[in-house]
Amino acid sequence: MRRSSSRSVRFGSIIASAAAALLAFSACSAPAPAQQGFDSWDQVTAAAKGQTVRLWMYGGDEQGNAYVDKTLIPGAATLGVTLQRVPVADTKDALNRVLTEIQAGTRDGNVDLVWVNGDNFGTGKQAGAWSCGWTSLLPNMVLTNPTDPLLANDFGTPVQGCEAPWNKAQFTIAYNSATVSEPPHTLAGLLDWAQKHPGRFTYPAPPDFTGSVFTREVLDSVSGGYKNVPLRFDQKTFDRITPALYGRLKELAPSLWRQGKTYPKTSAELNALYAGGQVDFTMTYGPAELTKLVAHGTYPAATKVLTLTEGTVGNASFLAIPATSGHQAGAMVVANLALSPQQQAAKADPRVWGQYTVLDTARLDAAQRALFEKLPQSPVVPSYDVLSHNANPELSAAWVPALDDAWRRLVLAGR
Amino acid sequence: MAPPASVGGRSWLPGTLMAAPAVLIAAFVVVGGMATALAQSLGLFPLVGPPSLTVAAYAAQAGDLPVGIGLSLAIAAASTVVACLVGFTAALVIVQGRWCGKLVAALGTLTIPVPHIVGAASVSLLLADSGLLSRLFNTGGSWPELVGGPWWIGVVAEYGWKESAFVALVVTGTLATRAVSYDETATLLGAGRLRRLRHILIPLSLPTLTISATIVFVYSLGSYEVAWLLGRVYPEPLPVMALRLFNAATLTARPEAAAVAIVTTILSFGAVATALTYLNRSPLWR
Repeated sequence: MRRSSSRSVRFGSIIASAAAALLAFSACSAPAPAQQGFDSWDQVTAAAKGQTVRLWMYGGDEQGNAYVDKTLIPGAATLGVTLQRVPVADTKDALNRVLTEIQAGTRDGNVDLVWVNGDNFGTGKQAGAWSCGWTSLLPNMVLTNPTDPLLANDFGTPVQGCEAPWNKAQFTIAYNSATVSEPPHTLAGLLDWAQKHPGRFTYPAPPDFTGSVFTREVLDSVSGGYKNVPLRFDQKTFDRITPALYGRLKELAPSLWRQGKTYPKTSAELNALYAGGQVDFTMTYGPAELTKLVAHGTYPAATKVLTLTEGTVGNASFLAIPATSGHQAGAMVVANLALSPQQQAAKADPRVWGQYTVLDTARLDAAQRALFEKLPQSPVVPSYDVLSHNANPELSAAWVPALDDAWRRLVLAGR
Repeated sequence: MAPPASVGGRSWLPGTLMAAPAVLIAAFVVVGGMATALAQSLGLFPLVGPPSLTVAAYAAQAGDLPVGIGLSLAIAAASTVVACLVGFTAALVIVQGRWCGKLVAALGTLTIPVPHIVGAASVSLLLADSGLLSRLFNTGGSWPELVGGPWWIGVVAEYGWKESAFVALVVTGTLATRAVSYDETATLLGAGRLRRLRHILIPLSLPTLTISATIVFVYSLGSYEVAWLLGRVYPEPLPVMALRLFNAATLTARPEAAAVAIVTTILSFGAVATALTYLNRSPLWR
């Protein structure tokens, strides 16, 4: 008796609070992206004074963190903007935060600026997560080349002023030249090497960013070059050209680390395997980190960059302002500062971060160009011109989840 | 859990009223969260497009769900068995009260505040291929696949270690307050150690053990960080799968993540209901 009546009381309160919760949630349908309302750069700088801008960025790159903390944040402070760095394990966390804020109808969100590109940018744009049309206001945008394909399209998604360029990157494979006596010169050669040396090669499991780009490199390779892979995604092409990719990867799997029954979950895990000498190759989209890792002894001293004759995939990464940010002016001031020749040159220094510049050197004056010419060369990583030789374009963002899902289904689950 | 049965029909009302503020706050968070997850899994809160009632999110993961359910239940069951066996043994040692009992109690108390994610990182540093033990014994590649291996040993070891301390301390509380007098009486009547264990210690601690086992089971069923850090990429336990889908850069994946979370919740409720049914039948519980 006692038990059943207390149960009904509890049940009643559950119903009541569930109804309250549903009411609360149904009240907030997706809001329209915040309006800009700025006509000139002077209005932006005036509005930015005293604002606090939270920059959400991948926190696993210590040099990147140090650059932002020691160079970009003091630079923003001189412009009256307080910049705070929010480290995230994956840029998807920042996008998810913005999407949640959009669902909740927030207009003064926690994310003011995101270091982003690729499918995260594309997904966010589709969901209306980004402020758009603001980059033309930035004075430093004239120093970039508007026809540069890497800056006009982000993994096939037109940028359309929804994000300001920040870095250029080149997918890079590194190897230990002490253990790999005859390094391959093509990606096909690398896969053959892996089959001849069982257990000494692996790649991070997509959807890890690096593992994902590796599978796209293999797709280019098995298709006979990137020119045979259309950048725009369509299901028919996917069905036609990907069996060769997954066939090759399945054939390769038994020769991988742990017989390909499992894979490193993240590129950090692959890097740890490489640092521990368990595999002979690692790969990264940020070759800048290699210099310091070798200098510190984390990576073998004989680490070298593998240059592939067919080239590797290159891309650019950007700073985007979420539509839910309440400090859009401050975020625009920071994005403009990050594009300045001084900041871009400081960032390109391999001792600082070593991220390649997005500026077009032809558009710089002599003093600005001198900033870049002064930079020291890395003993491990070749210059951007060498690395980006024959650079392949990134496939459109729609390819990425499709390739990752099929990899999961066919290569990972298939064993 | 119900308070000790009281005599008379009126006494439940003040008790319920006094608990109401806490219950309401907890219910708002828990029920509100679950209602949102349920609505999202049924397509009522899409990120893009109009809301429509559909089970597409459940159907989309129909291939991976059974494997995930089986794996999650297996990991939770193995962890619970290890935690209960180790924890109960530790509780017996602690109740003996000699120096080794105090040592075990101290170790157990020290284990409790360590966060699971720190525990998982420590297990990884200790047991992984390039971990401390592998280097200490200089195995040169012949180290068993404890972390990220096919049997999820690292995961079960972490849960077993952390949760056995929890089980030990809870069971010790019961044994110390309820069992000591019976134990002494039985000793005076000439019962040996094994008979006291079988007829007094195990039956008296069984309800407590059942409750703590349920908590351990539900916890290891629903938490993701240990399985994510120490597990392998495929197959995935349900919480890891839910997190991967939640973080996927595909707008349709969020309802699927919610669907996986709802399945996990149903399994947890099932485990709790089974345990409560069992307890309600047990004469010692009343």
